[in-house]
Amino acid sequence: MELNAANHACSYIIQSQEDEIKRIALELHEGINQNLYSLYTGLGYLESGIKEPHMKSYAKEMASLMERTIQEVRLLSVGLYPNTITTLGLEAAIKSYAKLFTDTFGVLIAIKSSGRERTMAEQRSMTVFRVCQEALINIAKYADASSAEIQFTWKEKSLKIEIKDAGKGFNLESGIERFTGIAAMKERMLIAGGQFYISSEEGKGTTVTITLPI
Amino acid sequence: MAFNKDEANRQALILDDLTILEKALACDFVGVALQKQKGLEITWPFVRGNRNEKYKYISIRYGKGIAGKVIATGSPMEINLFPVNISGKSTDYPIMLAEQLNSAYALPLYWNGIPKGALLIASRTGHFFTEDEKRSADHIKRQIESHLPEYFNQGEEG
Repeated sequence: MELNAANHACSYIIQSQEDEIKRIALELHEGINQNLYSLYTGLGYLESGIKEPHMKSYAKEMASLMERTIQEVRLLSVGLYPNTITTLGLEAAIKSYAKLFTDTFGVLIAIKSSGRERTMAEQRSMTVFRVCQEALINIAKYADASSAEIQFTWKEKSLKIEIKDAGKGFNLESGIERFTGIAAMKERMLIAGGQFYISSEEGKGTTVTITLPI
Repeated sequence: MAFNKDEANRQALILDDLTILEKALACDFVGVALQKQKGLEITWPFVRGNRNEKYKYISIRYGKGIAGKVIATGSPMEINLFPVNISGKSTDYPIMLAEQLNSAYALPLYWNGIPKGALLIASRTGHFFTEDEKRSADHIKRQIESHLPEYFNQGEEG
């Protein structure tokens, strides 16, 4: 009974955070960035009417800074909440994140998939996305691996994802610094009704496996 | 053909500078990050002492990572015992994670009066950089900066 109450509280906190993150991301993308874009267009219009070369160059510089800001805000928004998860699905969102991950950390990610992708509720897709994101971040931080693999296995009523690296691995008994992240991933999966497993061996790498009924 | 030869010579000169610095300071890793001529991405085209190829795939945005921060502020940056006492999260420093570095000193590289790159000296142990080491880095930084006009002009032509 107590465990259920704790699970509900935990689920409520996680969902509230996700809702807030989504709200901020959409506000950035659809509110602030739209206004910035209007300003950028306006600057271009003003620039075309300026005759003085010095002022024209200054206006061009401002437009360029505005363009950079629009791009930064867009990337910040996507970093907070991957819009593609509702439009193109979980696999597309993870592929897009994997590309960003390689650009950031230089770790190459191979994505494989078997079976037909099924539609899942947004909340469950986000749970899986966040767990994959955490697993990849752990690879960048601790594994010292140059590449990793994500394998999706879609079945009629379940999804299994394996995230493997051939990095330095760690002792599950003493890898204390990672335990909070691992516990958070496990908790997220349990709340969503799924399972979370991790196996690791020093010098041989780590495999995170998650399963979720659809 | 002559253009390719010039480019190869320029690359060799920058790599020679890095080798001199690596030996003079007995550090584990030295690298030059440069902002692309078009766009805001920053890459690591020249490195010495790398343990893997990850630097080749890293393409960070202006203001991000140790190089991005140095380029954005135009000021040097020092880390003595990564990830202890760093500003932000360890994931904000991809090259430190990729090369398993523990200490680093980064300087901005200027082109046309604007910071367009960063020179990084780093070790895989904790280290406080001495004034002598910083002076040596500053000397090499000036040599590298002297190759940047050709580097960026070539980018413009390309």
